[in-house]
Amino acid sequence: LVATQALVGWIVLKRFHSTAWREGSATLLALTVAAAIALVDQTYHTGGDLESFLWRWSLLLAPLPWLLNSTAVAILFLAALTWWAGAAKVDGSHILVMWPLAAAVVPHLIRVMRSQRRGLRAANLQWAIAIFLCVAAGLGLENRVPGLWIVVYTGLFALMVALGAANRRDEDGLWRRPLEAVGGAGSIVLWLILSFDEPWRHIGWNHINTTEKFHEVASWVDVLMAVGLPLAALVAMALLLDRKRDRLAMLWGMSVPVIAVAWPVTAATDSKWIGMAAFNLLLFTVGLATLAEGVKGQNLGTVNLGMSVVAILVIVRFFDSGFGFIFKGLAFILVGIGFLAANFILARRLRSSEEEKS
Amino acid sequence: VNTKLRLALFVLVALVQLAVAGAAIYRSELALRTGEAFRFRIQPVDPADAFRGRYVAVRFAIDSAPLAEGTTVRPRKPVFIPIEVGADGYAAFGAADTKAPERGAYLRLRAGVVTPDEEGRTHVWVAMPFRRFYLNETLAPEAERAVWAGPRGRREASVSVRIRNGVGVIEELYIDDVPIHQWLAENREW
Repeated sequence: LVATQALVGWIVLKRFHSTAWREGSATLLALTVAAAIALVDQTYHTGGDLESFLWRWSLLLAPLPWLLNSTAVAILFLAALTWWAGAAKVDGSHILVMWPLAAAVVPHLIRVMRSQRRGLRAANLQWAIAIFLCVAAGLGLENRVPGLWIVVYTGLFALMVALGAANRRDEDGLWRRPLEAVGGAGSIVLWLILSFDEPWRHIGWNHINTTEKFHEVASWVDVLMAVGLPLAALVAMALLLDRKRDRLAMLWGMSVPVIAVAWPVTAATDSKWIGMAAFNLLLFTVGLATLAEGVKGQNLGTVNLGMSVVAILVIVRFFDSGFGFIFKGLAFILVGIGFLAANFILARRLRSSEEEKS
Repeated sequence: VNTKLRLALFVLVALVQLAVAGAAIYRSELALRTGEAFRFRIQPVDPADAFRGRYVAVRFAIDSAPLAEGTTVRPRKPVFIPIEVGADGYAAFGAADTKAPERGAYLRLRAGVVTPDEEGRTHVWVAMPFRRFYLNETLAPEAERAVWAGPRGRREASVSVRIRNGVGVIEELYIDDVPIHQWLAENREW
């Protein structure tokens, strides 16, 4: 540990401008710290369970991303913190402290975004943060009001899509658009879950859990997230997005107004089909609109995204319902043929338009 | 942030890192060298930890202590439990209190559930902070098997713990009163 610390100290003095030296040595230090605590625990048979180890490691890592300007350590730190939160949650501990601790990466994020917004480091860091937020939002929920997670996640994913789209400057490659990728994929999965009736059963203020004990502050954080995230998504869409250029992102943000109506109505009336119907409709509309947008912009990726959404919805609804085996099989094949045909036609059209240009 | 300040901050962080590891070593060494020794009856099982490898999870035969008269304990708050030697020579819990006793060995533990027993006395459940005995990858499962494959279905297993100022550190794991490494070396054939 001392040797690694000395090495990092020397790099701070002499080689701080070199990203390779900085990232490399900082990662080494992060792992050495883990090894040191683990070794002491082993030698003296102390240190309690995995949760306690991850907690001490996360605490010691927290200042390093900012201090050593290291994205790799920031990713390690978020991973360790998430793992700890999961272990602690299973153990029944409160994990509210996760949020202020996670904020330790914010100064590093700001610096990376300022200096190399388009760089690979910024992309990697955004991936880590996006995935951390997806997991942490779920772990952090106290679930006193059943079904609040629906609003929280809808808002979170819409916000990610909006921020990602606002940040994009026509760069290609999915890896450099982590917020859109995670937000979009998360949206599809979430909407599909919400297109079943089960998540809408017994939600809202009429079913507030009174038998278990809850953490007062954590319950309020729930409410704060449920109100704040969708609002933030709306604000981001209104202020940051260009109505023409970012039409697709605006489309995917439709879930926020939908949830703002569907959730309270379902909660008030206790009829789960309202939420379920709303999200079936949303998936279908957004899928078709994405498809249309792709055809108009002659973008194969967008076409396939829209088609996938519609196809998955069709398949899920089909296997959900009581149609016969042969009918389901046929529908499955038809969906496949549809995909193939659309791609074939579009690829031909794309090629001919390119030939026209040349 | 200029280089000097950054270096100074880093030295501070590095010292904290060393202090965390060092404090754990110091506390444990102090308890091992100067602490009073007790023997706890246990049941070993053999899991693994993603970072720290194989260990024998030590389940203590005693896991709750009666509350001292007139004290109330809240879950997750620290309790102080005096350690006594029972009639069988193994360690036993005294009455739990919210203050450290003035004389004798004691452990500072985190209170779990508080429940009344059949006779109406209140008991506080505790988990020992030392619940693991790290062993070589191959030896850990063998140690568990050794206990469960004893002549009458199960051998006697115990750990010796050194206790000082509320801190306890496991010193050795025993099977039939023989230290584990010695026992495994002598009983290699099965």
